[in-house]
Amino acid sequence: MTTACHARFAALMGIACLLGAAEGRAQADDDLFDHIDDALTFGSAGEAVRARVSGTLDLEGIYMSQPEEGLVFSDGNAVLVPRLSLFVDAQVGPRLYAFVQARADNGFDPGEEGPHLRLDEYVLRLTPWDDGRLSVQVGKFATVVGNWTPRHGSWENPFITAPLPYENVTGIWDTNAVRSATELMVWAGVSPRPNRGGAFLVKYRNVPIIWGPSYASGASIFGAAGRLEYAFEVKNTSLSSRPETWSPTDTQWQNPTFSGRIAYVPNEMWTLGFSASTGAYLQGEAQPGLLSGVSLDRYTEVLVGQDLGFAWHHFQVWAEAFEARFEIPGVGSARTQACYVEAKYKFTPQFFGALRWNQQAFSALPIPGGGSAPWSRDTWRLDVGPGYRFTPHTQIKLQCSIEHQDADSNAWSSLVAVQFTARF
Amino acid sequence: MKTAPIRGLAAAALALVLAAPGAFAQAVVEGRVELPKALHTPVMNKRYGIISYAGVLAPYPPVAVVYLEGSFPHPSSPPPARMVQKDLNFSPVLLPVQVGARVDFPNLDDTYHNIFSYSPAKRFDLGRYRSDERPIPSVLFDVAGLVTVRCDIHEHMRAIILVLDTPYFAVSDAQGVYRLEGLPVGRFVLKAWLDSRTTLSRPVDLNAGSALRADFP
Repeated sequence: MTTACHARFAALMGIACLLGAAEGRAQADDDLFDHIDDALTFGSAGEAVRARVSGTLDLEGIYMSQPEEGLVFSDGNAVLVPRLSLFVDAQVGPRLYAFVQARADNGFDPGEEGPHLRLDEYVLRLTPWDDGRLSVQVGKFATVVGNWTPRHGSWENPFITAPLPYENVTGIWDTNAVRSATELMVWAGVSPRPNRGGAFLVKYRNVPIIWGPSYASGASIFGAAGRLEYAFEVKNTSLSSRPETWSPTDTQWQNPTFSGRIAYVPNEMWTLGFSASTGAYLQGEAQPGLLSGVSLDRYTEVLVGQDLGFAWHHFQVWAEAFEARFEIPGVGSARTQACYVEAKYKFTPQFFGALRWNQQAFSALPIPGGGSAPWSRDTWRLDVGPGYRFTPHTQIKLQCSIEHQDADSNAWSSLVAVQFTARF
Repeated sequence: MKTAPIRGLAAAALALVLAAPGAFAQAVVEGRVELPKALHTPVMNKRYGIISYAGVLAPYPPVAVVYLEGSFPHPSSPPPARMVQKDLNFSPVLLPVQVGARVDFPNLDDTYHNIFSYSPAKRFDLGRYRSDERPIPSVLFDVAGLVTVRCDIHEHMRAIILVLDTPYFAVSDAQGVYRLEGLPVGRFVLKAWLDSRTTLSRPVDLNAGSALRADFP
């Protein structure tokens, strides 16, 4: 932890507070953003074709102990992340809807140097009937699995980081085929656990069971029938695949992944969902490490999950539980279970707080010399996140996390993050 | 035994007459407001919804609120008002009420809404509530000013409640035509609210039994 790190983080906190205070004074004039919104809504004559440009401007600072948590890959203690997300929502007649999300930031990994400009999502959707029984869409979009993706944007997410199942890396590499359980445990850092300084370079080879919102490319159908909602998708990469493989030009379609979710919605208050996904998780670079004649599609990630959502007045709860199984060359099946429970409460119209418990456990694999050991580090994490909305267009969030991993050293790690968001 | 209440009522009536000269006179103002250009119909954010309804939102035709400014007696309880959520829209999208009025926010959709406002004149957050929620969530508007009402779930939903310190107001039609009846006589200022940045005004002399024509601008 260097003085420079402290200084950068303190500067970010100061900037965020100043912006917040400035916005606080400007509450009486928050309709400025509404006028911007009106100015960024376009329509053809007769309003048959309409489009709206909107966005979020995030200023995010992460201060963490090493080795770092989740999908942050950095050798430092502090990361400063400016991020501009632009959205275009377009409606063509009553049946066609299109959506684009473009981002300019350090990169999908906040630890990258940037700046990068990406098209994270682009979708064309056809809805043949008015009642929502069926929609078909193609493009590059967030996965239908689970219930986190609808709130993964910085404005909707009560936290700054994703829940553990969407960001905790396992020992799996998608670019290389592991040769033994012992090697898998080394990749997972089970023993010895990597220390600070360069560990992030190795860690970036590892994948979680679901990589964030998983903006992979493909097609989906979804809709509702009575109290049942359904969504199925076929995409070019597995849920665990890294962002570099999501674009249709990055990964070909030899090994598609099939995913789906069915949800029972007895009323607005409750949602109970079941998800499943299967697809090859190894990328083309791993092919030389496989036996001759063995195809990549033999090594799949199979995931099943349950999710629960509850909302009433100012209280919201989400919970998800996943079981994932990776078929690993030279090892066999490796299983993991991951879950989290997240609650949010609005204490006042503008002040809210959130609490999240995350946990992931790994099955044991036999190791040379007898006995067995988990194939990655069992982990639990507690996230606490207060937030405040200065206006309907600006908010600040704080997240404090403490994480414990079963390991022979450095079992504890922590993260403090602050994020200021302006939405227009 | 019966004379005391009668005297009390007579005194109260006299006090009301003295406090509000012209309260029993009836004047009328009518006219037309030149309305601003209509905004584009909002585009709904359907990015991550599992149920994607077809169809388009109803357009918001511009209308004006015309009101008489002055010092008028405050009724103990102004009539309640109602702003519904239907088809993922507010209706009406512009609602004038008198200070002290209570507004109900019934949810007529089969999905959640979360109505809130951070406007200085009234900050509230009703949380998520169903269409069968009873009593219907409501808010007392006790400070004059402009209150922008939004839905925390559907970002395209936006409406305005104009809390006025006068009982004399009317909403124009989509052509800008308005009519105010039952007005007191005297000299007042007539205002036409068009949007959060535009309020037109003009002085008016109201006489009993006559209808005044007042156009904006």
